[in-house]
Amino acid sequence: MNQTVVSYLAQYEFFDSLLALFGGNQGLLTFVIFMIFCLAIVGMCATIGGLGTYAERKISADIQARIGPNRVGPYGILQFLADGVKMMTKEDVMPFSADKFLFYLAPMLALVGVFATLAVLPFSTGFTLSDMNVGIFYLIAISSLVGVSVFLGGYASNSKWSMLGGMRGASQIISYEIPVTISILAITLLAGGMGFGTISAHQRGLPTNWFIFHNPFSFIAFFVYFVGALAETNRAPFDLPEAESELVSGYHTEYTGMRFGFFALAEYIEVFVVCGVGAALFLGGSNLPVDLSFDIIPLQLVEVVIFMTKALLLYYVVIWIRWTFPRLRVDQLMSICWKYLTPIAIFNLVGCAIWVVLFNGKSVAQLLMGGGH
Amino acid sequence: MFLQVLFLLSATLTIGCGIAVAVTRNLMHSCVFLLGTLIGIAGLYATLGADFVAVTQIMVYVGGIVILMLFAVMLTGGKDFVSRAQNLLGLAPSMGNKWTFALSGLVGVVFILTNVKLLMSVASSLPTKEINNELPSTVNEIGHLLVKDHVLAFELSSVLLLGALVGAAIIARPRKQ
Amino acid sequence: MISLTSYLLISLFLFVLGLVVMIARKNIVAILLGIELILNAAALNFVAYSRYVTNNLDGHVFSLFIIVVAAAEAAVGLAIVIRFFQIKESTHIDEATQLRN
Repeated sequence: MNQTVVSYLAQYEFFDSLLALFGGNQGLLTFVIFMIFCLAIVGMCATIGGLGTYAERKISADIQARIGPNRVGPYGILQFLADGVKMMTKEDVMPFSADKFLFYLAPMLALVGVFATLAVLPFSTGFTLSDMNVGIFYLIAISSLVGVSVFLGGYASNSKWSMLGGMRGASQIISYEIPVTISILAITLLAGGMGFGTISAHQRGLPTNWFIFHNPFSFIAFFVYFVGALAETNRAPFDLPEAESELVSGYHTEYTGMRFGFFALAEYIEVFVVCGVGAALFLGGSNLPVDLSFDIIPLQLVEVVIFMTKALLLYYVVIWIRWTFPRLRVDQLMSICWKYLTPIAIFNLVGCAIWVVLFNGKSVAQLLMGGGH
Repeated sequence: MFLQVLFLLSATLTIGCGIAVAVTRNLMHSCVFLLGTLIGIAGLYATLGADFVAVTQIMVYVGGIVILMLFAVMLTGGKDFVSRAQNLLGLAPSMGNKWTFALSGLVGVVFILTNVKLLMSVASSLPTKEINNELPSTVNEIGHLLVKDHVLAFELSSVLLLGALVGAAIIARPRKQ
Repeated sequence: MISLTSYLLISLFLFVLGLVVMIARKNIVAILLGIELILNAAALNFVAYSRYVTNNLDGHVFSLFIIVVAAAEAAVGLAIVIRFFQIKESTHIDEATQLRN
């Protein structure tokens, strides 16, 4: 069933009074509710993306025993606003020989591709914009727009660095899509559905029900997913497309001002989305550790907090990895993907399939506790 | 209401970008407009209630084929072809000239006219079934169909894909002359 | 309600656009773009008929197979284009006149 935030709210009594307020026009009310939630989620994620730059600088400073930004606001927390204002007031430079149409289009595509994924991200069981039956598949599909935008950004700038960065970026993104998709496929096999609601419903309760602890194969699949996702979002140690020591800054070398800001924002939000997907698929999503028989709206807010906590913890790990590992070479990058991650992911998929058949879909914990529920 | 709006938007995107694919002189822009067309078709699938096909369309085309096309354009000269309008051998320019477009336009007009004539006669006599406005999810049923009714085609397509993969790798491999 | 005829008209138009691209363009990559348009027009027809005429999802499965074949065709086609470019330093279709180099 395709569930949305509107169909969730419709089960409460205040929905009827809202409907009366809109003169019984259900279409308009649906539109308004979606509008409000979209704006809220986009605003929240944009803030997370902005704060991501601050967190990145602060955490990296911590790791390198520096202080980091500390001038704007308490502990420098308003630094991202200052950066944003700086970017917006900068001159928008277009290289003379650039392909104007594609040059304008590329940052937009990056933002569209990232924001479109937010439509299915399961912040809680009720407050998901749309719990489609093809949820995770849609998310993988639409986020490949980012790959196109990286490529076009590199091509349109008409500069060597951008060109190399764009080609590297596109080949890296489409290569790492394969292990990521296959390890996600293993999880849909366990859950028996591609919707985030189905996947989340299978992980209700204690952490032993989470898919990462479901069986040995899904445990490995989580790490394959995480490494692949790091590479897909062009994060270190896979940030070859924007390797500043060899390519200046890759596909966005020629971008200035807000267009550069779009690329940066898209990257940080994509990291958050990828972490959110990891939390939803492997780490139990927004489920409370106890099963409650009733459902009220404050409980949904608690679920949102749980989901955000898991996602942001993964976000911390991503930043931690960036400032700990050195960058790889291009050939190493490709051999990791094709010689190691993809075979491991296929092995995991087959292993999960055999596990589901052999043990009737029961997890390790259920087998140990005897029979399970 | 929502479906009509989605249909209009998708149809406009599909046809508009389709025309742009046909008339633009820049091969790179042509590829990008093809991307718009493919996304528009995915939207049309969504209005038809084909959620799985729509997402597969985006997945395969946007994530795979369009990027492959862009790579091929880049590896074979790209923008160079627009400036080099006339070849040394006296061939027609690679993005077409007025004669090729006139010929193809003629073919297209004839094709459209004959087909509209055919459609007009068929459209009135089409067997119509009860259209339900509910669009149920198709994922489960497609899964069953793929491994029951169409299992042979499903398996053969895996062989086809493997063959294409190996073939493409062998053909594009640089050879010593 | 949106009628079947509107889908068929869109599909027809896309098909003709693909045909125009294939006839007018002399670049092999551009011709492949035209083939993609034609394949998509066919797949759209299958899904539209599946919703409006038949009562099952066979049309959906057909268009899935069309997408699969299009992917395979694009991969092999572009590999041939790249190989051809290595030999002739051109992607003009009229230069493909020899069976072996």
